[in-house]
This record gives sequence, structure tokens and C-alpha cells, in this order.
Amino acid sequence: MKRAWIIVLRELRTYLQDKADLAFSLLLPIATFALIYGAFGGQGLFHGTASVVNEDAKGVYSAQLLDDLKAETSLTVETLSRADAEQKLDRSDVKLVLVIPADFSDKLRSGQPAQLIFMQRGNGGQDGQIVASIVRGAVSRLNQDFSVRGQVEQALAGKGVLPQQITVTTWNFLDRERQYPLVGITEVASGSKPNLVNQFLPGIITMYVLFSISISAAAIVEERRKGTLERLLTTRLTVGGLFLGKWLASVSRGFVQTFILLTLSYAVFRIFTPLSFLECLAVALIFAMASSAIGLLIASVARTQDSATWIGVFFTMSMTMLGGTFFTISAGSVLYTISKFSLNTYANDAFKALITEGGTISQVWLELSVMTGVILVGLVLSRYLFKALPQGK
Amino acid sequence: MAEPFMVARDLQKSFNDHKAVNGVSFTIGKNEIFGLLGPNGAGKTTTIRMLSTVLEPDAGEVTIGGFSTHQQPEKVRSLIGVCPQELALYEDLSALDNLMFFGRLVGLSGREAKAQAMSNLALMGLEQRARGKISKFSGGMKRRVNLAIALMGHPQLLFLDEPTVGIDPQSRNNIFETIFDLRKKGMTILYTTHYMEEADRLCNRVAIMDGGKIVVMDTPRALKGQIGDPDKVTLEDVFLKMTGRSLRD
Repeated sequence: MKRAWIIVLRELRTYLQDKADLAFSLLLPIATFALIYGAFGGQGLFHGTASVVNEDAKGVYSAQLLDDLKAETSLTVETLSRADAEQKLDRSDVKLVLVIPADFSDKLRSGQPAQLIFMQRGNGGQDGQIVASIVRGAVSRLNQDFSVRGQVEQALAGKGVLPQQITVTTWNFLDRERQYPLVGITEVASGSKPNLVNQFLPGIITMYVLFSISISAAAIVEERRKGTLERLLTTRLTVGGLFLGKWLASVSRGFVQTFILLTLSYAVFRIFTPLSFLECLAVALIFAMASSAIGLLIASVARTQDSATWIGVFFTMSMTMLGGTFFTISAGSVLYTISKFSLNTYANDAFKALITEGGTISQVWLELSVMTGVILVGLVLSRYLFKALPQGK
Repeated sequence: MAEPFMVARDLQKSFNDHKAVNGVSFTIGKNEIFGLLGPNGAGKTTTIRMLSTVLEPDAGEVTIGGFSTHQQPEKVRSLIGVCPQELALYEDLSALDNLMFFGRLVGLSGREAKAQAMSNLALMGLEQRARGKISKFSGGMKRRVNLAIALMGHPQLLFLDEPTVGIDPQSRNNIFETIFDLRKKGMTILYTTHYMEEADRLCNRVAIMDGGKIVVMDTPRALKGQIGDPDKVTLEDVFLKMTGRSLRD
């Protein structure tokens, strides 16, 4: 054990001496954090921009529709010319544009159906689809206004009531109804408040920890390449000690990056309690240990630096994709079954339970057990598969 | 020959279908410099790897200082120092850090490791460059550091696998002086080289290997005497006579 620590200290010393490596590995989580902050800015609710081409600039109803959209707290309305809109769509600066045609108000005034147009790139993107839903809601309210007014006009036809009086009374009625709806919705949040940071942070953390695979995968090959492996094996350092040292060094490096990311999230986003912060650190540590054990397993069979790197990249990428880092995998699907073979799945689930759902560490015992199993199997198997020389034993 | 310090009996090692070492037996006496010579692919390095516990033989056994390499490899490792053929150094560390690192791994305390490292570097004429990074060193300096590391922990048996390859005459001479000095201090040395005059000058006895076997083993003078006047023929003549003139891979 003492000699394993000598290996750890040497590895960490080399890591600290390589200024470029050190700066890159420490700045990367900080840069990622800045990106998360820039993208989500600590806001919990959706906020999007509705890009609108209003060709009915003097129309009463287009103005009413725009006022309605501007009243939405989750939207900023940006008015564009058609040429600008097309250019922005071409460059993918915007994914969806609402076009209000020039005859929009005239048609509505004369009782004819009017069409709004969504110009979109692909499916409009996730934000675009949400903006489209909000626009549809506003259009639905406009339709309701016309429908109710039409029916009231029909009911009062020939009874001496002025159309203007009908319009004002109807709108007042609808305004009141919208302010005090008959059927309302109350939102009750359970667990911690879900927001975009909460949703994405688990995936980003697991992705960082997975880098430990590549670090430890190269550990033994690097010694072999330098010619130092044989020399190490003629000292009083055992193969087990060598592996333990390499593993602990890799765990330390993987954990440091995650520690930075979690600490910044704790300090800035305030998404943790002190206890859940410590629980997340514990999960990150166990995940780093499991990832490094997989890396060591690769290291024990890889013969060249290239093969170690590529096997490491393959594991990292496939586990990132299968583990639900970038997208949610539906329960019961084939992908869901396959994802159970990915270590990332268990880490993601554990982090989600702690960060997104406000759970405690006792609720993720299964995930922790699986990761602990991977640590034990990885370490034992890598020791068993190791050969000092590619052909030797 | 003095009392045997290292005994190898019927060592065998195959890689796939290739028999790299095929029934090698020899002993090295305490305080002896034993030369293991042979053309490329003769099995010298594989033999050293088996003797130094890096490889397990398929058959045969080795004892060093009375300990079996198979059953007590840790005990054996506490007696040996290995200077491999390839430079086994951390280029990103200083010479001192390299020596201290391996010193700690052979069981020295931090203070002992530093003291021995400085002493070994002085022995190699590198004390002024102790804190220089290995990546800035010349080939000859690296070779000397390579040997200095093998001396950490004061091993009783030193394996020197072609320690003078590709270095200038000054560095080579420094290494020779060091080896003589070590023998004076009672160290046992197994030395491999392609330079026959080195073996002739340094070794008490030599074994010439070819095709995984020892083809001849004796003192350099006795070997030269087998083919002619020992004062006129060279060890290279013996070598070529025993291993042939055909080129090797």
C-alpha cells in the first residue's frame, strides 16, 4: 500500500508539473460551468423569443395578437422583416418565425377565415416548438373572441343592440373570464424545484467522470512505452501495488474535475443542500472509482497507446450515449434494456435522484451497489489479465 | 569460483511457437562479473527477464541469494538491481527525482533515497545535473542515470543489459570505472553486451548464447585458449567461431 502511494504521488506530481495538462483539465470544468450558466443562467422556467414578421402592420387584430404575445412572461417578441427572417432561418439563427399576412385583419373583419404562417427550420427546434404552442394559445384566444362575439351578435340580432356595444361587452366578459377562470390549474412541485440546470448537470458530471477511463486506460501502456514498466516490476512494488497506485491517481484526477463542477454549482446555482452536496460528492467519488477500474481493465489488455486511447474513447462515448446523458431513454424500450449495461446509467440515475428529485443517498443504494461491483470486478480482472510483456505471463 | 549467489537451472521460455530460451543453466559466484553474450535473438534479454522476476519461466528454476524467483519474488527483488537495455526513465522528472522515486520503491525512506540518489549521481559524474530534467540530457547522461537508478538500494546482484549502447567513450569509461568500483565493493554483476572487448576487459567468466542455449561458458582467457593462443585471438574470434558468421534478425 505504501508503494502504491509512491506511484500516486509520482503520477500527481507529473500531472501538476505539466502546466498545459493541468490548466486544461482544471479550466475545462470551469468553462463548462460558465457555459451552463450562460445557457440557463439559473432560471427555472422557459424563456424564448418569438420572431414575428408582421405584414399586417396597421391591422387591429395583428396588433391584438402581438399584444397578447407580448403579455406572455415567458416570451420576448422580436419583429423582423421577411428578408431578415429568411436570412436568419437560412443561418439557423432562428428556427421558427411567425408570419402575419398582410390581409390578416381585413379577412377577420369581414368574417373570413385567416391564416397565420410558421416558417421553420426542420421541426423548429425544441424552443421553436414551445414558442409555437404559446402562439397557438394566443390564436385560440383570438378565435374564442370572434366565436363568442359572433354568437352573441346572432342571439341579439334585431333587438336594437349596437354592434360596438356587443363587442365591448363581449371582450369585457372574456377578459373577466380569463382573469377568474371557472377551471384553474394549481402547480404543486414535489422534491426540489426542477430546472434546466438540474436536468443537465447529472449528465455533464457523469461525462466528466468518464474521462477517468481514458486516463487510466493509458496508464500501463505509457509505462510500457517508456520502458519503465519492467523496471518497476523489478523493484519491491508488486503488480497489485502498481495497479492500485495507477487506479488511485486516475480516481483523483477524475474526481478533482467533478469536485470543481459540483462546488461551482453548489455556490452559484444553489441547487444543493449541504447534505445533498456531500452525497453528490460521494456518488461522484464512487463513480470515478468505477470508471477508473474500467480504464485499468482496458490498460491491462491494451498493447499500444493508440489501442488504449481508442478503446477508452469507445467506452466513454458508448456509455455517454447509452447512459442517458444527452437524452432521456424511455422505460421499456430496447435502448432502456441496453442502457442497463452502461455504468453511466447508474451514475446518472443516482445523480438525478439526488439533484433533480431531491432524494437521499439511501435511495440510490442499488446504483451504488452496481458501481461498487464494477470497482471490484474491474480491479480483480485487470490484475488477472495483466501481462508484463505482451507475449509473456 | 566463489560460492554461488545466483543459480539458474534448465530455464525454458517460449513465445507462441518460438522457443526463446531452451534449457539454460549457469551459476554466478558472489562478487563475480559474469558476461552473457550472444547475437541478436540469442535469448539474453529473455533470460535476464526471467532472472529478474519480470517473466516466469515455462520450466526450470532460479534462486538468487537462496530465494526462489518463483516462490519468493519479493525477496529476490530486494536483492537485485536492473539496468535495462532500453532507457527506463521518466523524461518529465529530474535525474534526482527519478532516482528518488525508484529508491522509494526499493524500500528506502525519503531521506535515505535522497542521500543515495545524490551519492549515485556523484558516482556517475552527474551531481551538478541532479535537478536537470532527463528530457534535456544527452544519450550518454541518460545511460549513466539508467545505471545509477539500478544501484538504488545497494543491490547485491546487478543486471546490466547492454549498458553502454550508443554512448560516447567518456561515458563508457565512466561506466566501466563504476563497474570495477562496484565489484571492489562486493557486488555481483551479470553483464550483457555486444562489445566483446568490454566483456573481455570486465568479466571473470562469460557464457555465449545462441538459439536460446548456452553454447560455451568459461573465463575469457580459457575460451580464447579453446581456439588458439589466448594472447593473440580475441573474444570476438571465439564469438564468431561459436555462433557463426551468418547475419541475425
